[in-house]
Amino acid sequence: MWLAEHSRVYRPGEVLEGYFRLEEASPEQVRAVELSAVWHTEGKGEEDLSVHYFERLEPASGSANDFTQPHLFKSILPPSPLSYSGLILKIRWCVRARVFLARGKELTHEVPFQLGTVPSAQSVTAT
Amino acid sequence: MSRLIRLYEKKRGDRRTGLKSVGNLGEALFFGLFFSIGCAGLVYMLVALAWPEWRANRQFAPARCTIVDKYVGRATAQNAASLYRPEFRVVYRTPEGEYTADALYDVMGLYSSDRDAVDKLLAGFEVGQEYPCWYDPIDQRPAVLARGYSPWLYVSLLIPLSFMLIGGGRLIYTLLHWNTSQERRALLNQRTAQIDLFDAGSNHRALPTVPTDANVTNSPGTTLAYRLPIATRSGWVLFATTAACLLWNGVVAIFVIRAVGGLLRGEPQWMLVMFVVPLVAAGIGLVAYLVRQVIITTGMGPTRLEISAHPLVPGQPYELFLSQAGRLAMRRLEIWLACDEKATYHQGTDMRTETRRVFQDRCFVRTDLEINRGLPFESRCHLRVPPGAMHSFQADHNEVIWKLVVKGSVIGWPDYEREFQIVVNPAPTAAI
Repeated sequence: MWLAEHSRVYRPGEVLEGYFRLEEASPEQVRAVELSAVWHTEGKGEEDLSVHYFERLEPASGSANDFTQPHLFKSILPPSPLSYSGLILKIRWCVRARVFLARGKELTHEVPFQLGTVPSAQSVTAT
Repeated sequence: MSRLIRLYEKKRGDRRTGLKSVGNLGEALFFGLFFSIGCAGLVYMLVALAWPEWRANRQFAPARCTIVDKYVGRATAQNAASLYRPEFRVVYRTPEGEYTADALYDVMGLYSSDRDAVDKLLAGFEVGQEYPCWYDPIDQRPAVLARGYSPWLYVSLLIPLSFMLIGGGRLIYTLLHWNTSQERRALLNQRTAQIDLFDAGSNHRALPTVPTDANVTNSPGTTLAYRLPIATRSGWVLFATTAACLLWNGVVAIFVIRAVGGLLRGEPQWMLVMFVVPLVAAGIGLVAYLVRQVIITTGMGPTRLEISAHPLVPGQPYELFLSQAGRLAMRRLEIWLACDEKATYHQGTDMRTETRRVFQDRCFVRTDLEINRGLPFESRCHLRVPPGAMHSFQADHNEVIWKLVVKGSVIGWPDYEREFQIVVNPAPTAAI
């Protein structure tokens, strides 16, 4: 999976565009593929996650047959939340591909990217 | 084998062991059992209790019966305790003929452990006397001497119904989410939130995860555009302190009364006295803290903060108007712009919240000032959120909170702080 000609730092409202393909995958081996663009939190608190873009490709439904061919995904990025690296909270954006194989197995691949250019937070002593 | 089927799961950093389908199966079985128990309980209560009672009230035919005999019926409970109910031998006439049969007081025929109540009920009926009774017209029996509905029965139907709702609801949730990915579950939850009547619009906002500023912009200012609402935290602290103070000192008072009573009677209970002394000391400490909170909350006079525009955008200048009322001799009065990260997490069974300050900047300071009653101190200052700063963010467990904090240091009084929450939007076009 790769993002199209980009430095992986996006502005809000910019188009996120990329391709996905599987090497050496036969239609019998793959039940479905889910492509998503999500933001999620990391840090002290429990994880929050929100899906901005979601697409499910299933050979059975005819939405995809040959996963070895590049599949284009495209989405306009929202104005918020911006990527953020705080002290106890981090907001991460990524494109995630989840491949559902036969016999219930799953493979996941992520390509992180940054939305906006918020500088990292610094520790402050309350006065 | 244990590598193939992991019945339990361990979390190792971001990686989890275990088979999700086995977990789903276990969850489905558990809540399926919960649902089944509810269904079975509801069916039993309807068939064995509610249906006979309804038939007795609506379908039984009236008759007159003569009581031939009366006695206390006995049964033994599971804990070997004796249970009782009134039973009768009656003669009654129906269009089909005359019947001599055993009769119950009511169709439920439930046993009770209260023997006196059963005896009292039996005493209301005389052998040889005639009383109204009702019988089943299908087979002419059983006969009952009283009819009516049992409110407890219909209230107790809530028990199996709650089992059905909890078990069934969670079973449906588990089946819908069977083998679904984290992203798909999140998407389902987002769509559910979109149709939630009480959360309408939150996911359709132009700026997702940025909190709404409706409670700020609905209050116009007298000098600038908006009057900022004060955070209610101080009110809750005062309420919680008052409640804790009353509860603690109320409990301690019981022990104090007993200890003092013993001393006055000349029968001192020294162990009790020694036990009570530290409790009283803690109670006095609580009262002192409560008085301090009351002074801070009410004694300083209201603080009003107004802003020229809202929501804020990083890099843009804004004007603030501060008004501090009261009769105060102040060492210092300040306004701080602050940003906190707030994270909520589970620790065992507790829900904990951690807050870290990531930005603060003093916008205004005035030292050695006197405020007279009826003539509030008023001043203006400028405010600017740093360009490129993180915007306000609100998710279920994590937040970035921007606020203005007014800090006051008053001669002869405890220092005080008043917070005014604001919303910072992302800059319209963030330069890369």
